[in-house]
Amino acid sequence: MLKVKSPQNFGAGVLFLLIGAAGIFFGRELDFGSTRNMGPGYFPTVICGLIILIGAVVAFKALSVEGPEMERIHIRPILMLMLAVAAFGFLISQVGVVISSILLVILAAYARRDVNILETIIFALAVSAFVVVIFVFALGQPMPIWWNN
Amino acid sequence: MEVFDHLATGFMAAASLQNLMFCLIGVVLGTLIGVLPGIGPIPALAILLPITFGLDPLSSLIMLAGIYYGAQYGGSTTSILVNMPGEASSVVTCIEGHQMAKKGRAGSALAIAALGSFFAGCVGTIFIAAFGPPLSAIAQQFNSPDYFALMVLGLVMAVVLAHGSVLKAVAMVLIGLLLGLVGTDINTGLTRYTFGISGLWEGIDFLPLVLGLFGIVEVLRNLENPPSERSPISTRMRDLWPTKQEFREAWPAALRGTGLGSILGILPGGGAVLASFASYTLEKKISRNPEKFGKGAVEGVAGPESANNAAAQTSFIPLLTLGIPSNPIMAIMMGAMIIQGIQPGAAVMTARPDLFWGMVASMWIGNLMLVVINLPMLGIWVKLLSVPYRFLYPAILLFCTIGVYSTSTEPFMMVLMIIFTVFGYILLKFGCEPAPLVLGFILGPLMEENLRRSMVISRGDPMIFVDRPISAVLLLATLGMIALIIFPQFRKTREVAFQEE
Repeated sequence: MLKVKSPQNFGAGVLFLLIGAAGIFFGRELDFGSTRNMGPGYFPTVICGLIILIGAVVAFKALSVEGPEMERIHIRPILMLMLAVAAFGFLISQVGVVISSILLVILAAYARRDVNILETIIFALAVSAFVVVIFVFALGQPMPIWWNN
Repeated sequence: MEVFDHLATGFMAAASLQNLMFCLIGVVLGTLIGVLPGIGPIPALAILLPITFGLDPLSSLIMLAGIYYGAQYGGSTTSILVNMPGEASSVVTCIEGHQMAKKGRAGSALAIAALGSFFAGCVGTIFIAAFGPPLSAIAQQFNSPDYFALMVLGLVMAVVLAHGSVLKAVAMVLIGLLLGLVGTDINTGLTRYTFGISGLWEGIDFLPLVLGLFGIVEVLRNLENPPSERSPISTRMRDLWPTKQEFREAWPAALRGTGLGSILGILPGGGAVLASFASYTLEKKISRNPEKFGKGAVEGVAGPESANNAAAQTSFIPLLTLGIPSNPIMAIMMGAMIIQGIQPGAAVMTARPDLFWGMVASMWIGNLMLVVINLPMLGIWVKLLSVPYRFLYPAILLFCTIGVYSTSTEPFMMVLMIIFTVFGYILLKFGCEPAPLVLGFILGPLMEENLRRSMVISRGDPMIFVDRPISAVLLLATLGMIALIIFPQFRKTREVAFQEE
């Protein structure tokens, strides 16, 4: 059986292969054209071909050359940060920048363990006040402060 | 002298009260973000990009340039005081600068870095003023095949001169090129890779891409590997002045660093990181007592710090004259210019001389401000280092998010930013450095356009690239670079050069 000697590079190689293949698959209906008169599919196809080629080389080399282990994936930080961004982005038009900022900061705080909730709430209030002063009053960026406007 | 006339125009434009203020804000904010451990110029620029969008083009470019120098300079401060490099070009400063700090010469190291940078900044400004016009005159001779060849050379150089795996960097560039093609194809009006999403018709937005890949992923990286609590070495103002001996050792190194940096900055693919590594290697080679290096050699601070600032300046030359960014930071600058409605290139200098020369002049002003502001404000920067990360990162995340929201209220932009955060996180886990991707992303449409046009001109004959002297020379240089990577001797030097830790 083949043994992967460099898991990190193997992963990268497979990722490249997938991206290249996806590029060709989703671009399959684009007209390739000819060298003389390139269609919209010409350049992307060439690029994807090269990505696949490199992906194959990287993955293949990972089988024979020792390399670094994969780092552990931590689900909590990325999940909480994504949740925080999504909450802000989808709620701001309804509830305004103050509440969505507070929400973002509190959700983001839970990306770490041992959250001091009182401290976080105070910090969130301070930051959202800062945001309103800087972005809405000083920079005059158009965003709703509260839910009613 | 024509150069001085131009510079006078520039100073007139840049020295308006409004522009001076934006330059100051840029420099201060850049330093503020750059001082934070683990945040180099790329994330700093990405995070601060949105606040420049509301300004008129010249003010916003002035502010962006200020942010860039500020961030770079802030990174050096952190390196010297806490031995935590914010980015690759400060790694070198860490080695000698922190050793000096340990010996109680932190103030002196900071002053040498600041003065060296300022001197390099002055020379860099003159360099741009002197080389800008002739280079843009050459650029007028450029045709589609030449542009295509130049971009190929630039991308190859960027890959070779970056550190890390060459193959992965090439893949990053290619993926960037592919992402750059998303949207409506200008030749046929057909949409590509848009999956029926109207938010993608005009291409992937630049801001969610850079903020996701650099801003938020940087936060994630720090959350997973918390920077260890290292108390900064305290400095007092009266320790700031270098001794006579230190001064004598520093100035020739600063001179050499400036020269080296100015030249390396102009090269396609060159820039601050390369310049500081090269300067450190040079100083170590020519030093009469090389055993000092690693133990706080003054030359090892003065040289690289001057070199990286000089290169930071001169790397604007290819962007402003040819319209081609030579490194990822310049790619972000170019992205910002395009959002402002300016297509960088030779035309800017002739059509909007106030813009071009104003920006050049502001670089000098920005450098002066850095010296004047930073040394006295050192205490504040040091305090900033003691702000716990649990407060910093939610604020950084909030600024990224508001930044995206302020340019487009579409919720889809948030989705895009989330997608690029996840993608950047995966790249991080697979050990891929995403910086070259931005370069490809910016160059993708340009490359395709020029390739297509070349092929139409030559009726599909690829020999056009060899027949035109400019493109032939550029492609020859590209082949030379590729040969260098394959040639094992050079590969070893490259590995050694970037592992100076």
